[in-house]
Amino acid sequence: MANRQGTEDIAIVAVAQTPSYRAYQETEPLLLMSLTNEILTETGLERNDIDFTIAGSCDYLSGLPFAFVSNVDGFGAWPPVYESHLEMDGAWALFEAIVRLQMGDIDTALVAGSGKSSPGRPREIFALQTNPYYHAPIGLDPISMAGLQANAMLDAGKATEADFAEVVSRSRRDGLKNPFAQVAKDVSVDDLLAEPYHTQPLRKHDLPPISDGASMLLLARGDRARELTDKPVWITGIDHRMESSHPGLRDLTVSASTKIAADNLGIDGGAFDVAELCVRYSPEELLLKEALALTDSVRINPSGGPLCGHPVMATGLTRVCEAARLIRKGEAGTALAHAASGAALQQNLICTMKGDA
Amino acid sequence: MTEFVSTSYNLEYPYQRTTGPVTGPFLTGLRDGKLLGIRCGDKVLCPPLEFDPDTLAELEPDFVEVGPGGTVENWTWVSEPTRKHPLQEPFAFATIKVDGSDTPMIHAIKASSVDVMERGLRVQAMYREERVGAISDVYFMPESEAYDQKIPKGKGDVPISEHLISLDFEENFAPTRRRYLEGLQAGKFIGQKSPASGKVYIPSKGYDPIERVAMTEADDVEIGFKGTVTTFTVITPVAYYGQEETEPYIRASVLLDDSDTPLGQQDIRNIPIDDFRAGMRVEAIFRPENERDFDGIDNRWGGTGGVIERWEPTGEPDVPFEVFSEHVY
Repeated sequence: MANRQGTEDIAIVAVAQTPSYRAYQETEPLLLMSLTNEILTETGLERNDIDFTIAGSCDYLSGLPFAFVSNVDGFGAWPPVYESHLEMDGAWALFEAIVRLQMGDIDTALVAGSGKSSPGRPREIFALQTNPYYHAPIGLDPISMAGLQANAMLDAGKATEADFAEVVSRSRRDGLKNPFAQVAKDVSVDDLLAEPYHTQPLRKHDLPPISDGASMLLLARGDRARELTDKPVWITGIDHRMESSHPGLRDLTVSASTKIAADNLGIDGGAFDVAELCVRYSPEELLLKEALALTDSVRINPSGGPLCGHPVMATGLTRVCEAARLIRKGEAGTALAHAASGAALQQNLICTMKGDA
Repeated sequence: MTEFVSTSYNLEYPYQRTTGPVTGPFLTGLRDGKLLGIRCGDKVLCPPLEFDPDTLAELEPDFVEVGPGGTVENWTWVSEPTRKHPLQEPFAFATIKVDGSDTPMIHAIKASSVDVMERGLRVQAMYREERVGAISDVYFMPESEAYDQKIPKGKGDVPISEHLISLDFEENFAPTRRRYLEGLQAGKFIGQKSPASGKVYIPSKGYDPIERVAMTEADDVEIGFKGTVTTFTVITPVAYYGQEETEPYIRASVLLDDSDTPLGQQDIRNIPIDDFRAGMRVEAIFRPENERDFDGIDNRWGGTGGVIERWEPTGEPDVPFEVFSEHVY
């Protein structure tokens, strides 16, 4: 059951996202509500025309048990709707929605991801994702894991610190054109390399900002998709794979699970106009580019990527939204979106898509 | 006067996990000042796993003492430790291949400076003064900086691993919640009237969830003190840690006149339980201004904290159920 191809009758028919905020002053349901309304207005649908709603969020982020229930307010859930939730990035909600649509009894699914990281301390919270006996009690956090991954790449001669800075320089410059970006700057590689280390060999700019935000998209099948938009973005494949929760057992100089997912989908790394990759730490772009065998003709993260805005639990789904938006605007014909979960690219999801030729 | 700017809260879960036949002896070993690996074919895994990572086959608990020395395979320098890190000064997280083990362990190295860190650095396991049978009982130091320790053996095995998760959060009050609080402080109920439906929400979350409309200060409305009990429950206290109640008491929902969402969890002490009923008319009597307590009201939870002294029966005729049946919760 590895191959997730054959989903070509499912399309993204609308996308919406909030800016990445350093600290959004209102509550999380309001982040989502604005997106729900945007998508309903764009498609001309009434709320109860949508068959299925699924969201990804994390109650730990803002420290509110059952925050995901409050978020249902944002979807417009009265009269009651058919909905579900994952404690994962919205990209995995997309995966579940696609699986659900393939059952054939429903035609539309609303997919969301949202999170407010600003009230908490993400480094402390995400250490709790790790092994509860061996790693959580020593607070092993994603930034430190990214530092270990970066150093492993340097030691293996697979990258230099200048390579990391190149990723940052290009991403932050691209972010200047992205109205949703939180951090954007025109800064040279040399200036970046002159900055002090944060978690050696990473500098602060190699890390993503702390962000609040949300993203959302509407999926529809076949004829329903064509009714709802004249610019459907067809999902051509989706797969996700996970590596060991014991990072000591992983080779951090490759993204093995990304490669397995790519092989399962049989993708050709030169076949995309654009790739939106979940590069939370700059070295990850190099690993992903290699695992996906992306050629230099593929434009990576024209949005600036997560280095310009990292609304945890929406960051991955936002990659899908950004890629789909480029196809809808006619700036790309084919695109690959990638989402990641866990420390040091532990879990990876790939979604490929194309516009009407 | 309280300034309602930001709110902070703590989330705690005290986890207790059984350690099992593999992790248990390893943690017991740490408490007793030694590192144990588990045999896996012709290899040794430290820290030990319950399964062969290549085949996922279950491993027999066949232990071998490893260390105390080890070699750094990879490292990163944590210049700004979090409060959850094992060391509170700059340190290295590293993958360390303990002598006699074939798999690396991720742990902290206490080193005098980042300058000593390198691949191949020889390190030695060091133990904390107070050991509880946890991975944090041990850390590592460069061999050149390590010193001898005498670690007394503890009593018995370590069957349970305790891990207190304690997280702190701080955020500004959402603007709507801040105005609600300022109202309570001034002795007023401030709600919001939906421009779409005309429904009045108190406390409002800043939006009308039914019509999906965001609301602003322009939608604020002041609501009176009289209302109707829509439902209630009588709680008979059971003894538990922290319980202060001994006698049965009432928690009621009160629908203020000209509002559409009842104030929940209202504490009723002044009305005999046998006399209390849904449909009863009551009026909020606020505590004196300097005794109002806003504890527990934040962006997450609404309620009225310790602001209301009591709900006084007005003596008006009861309201029939049909009138408030849409507002019972």
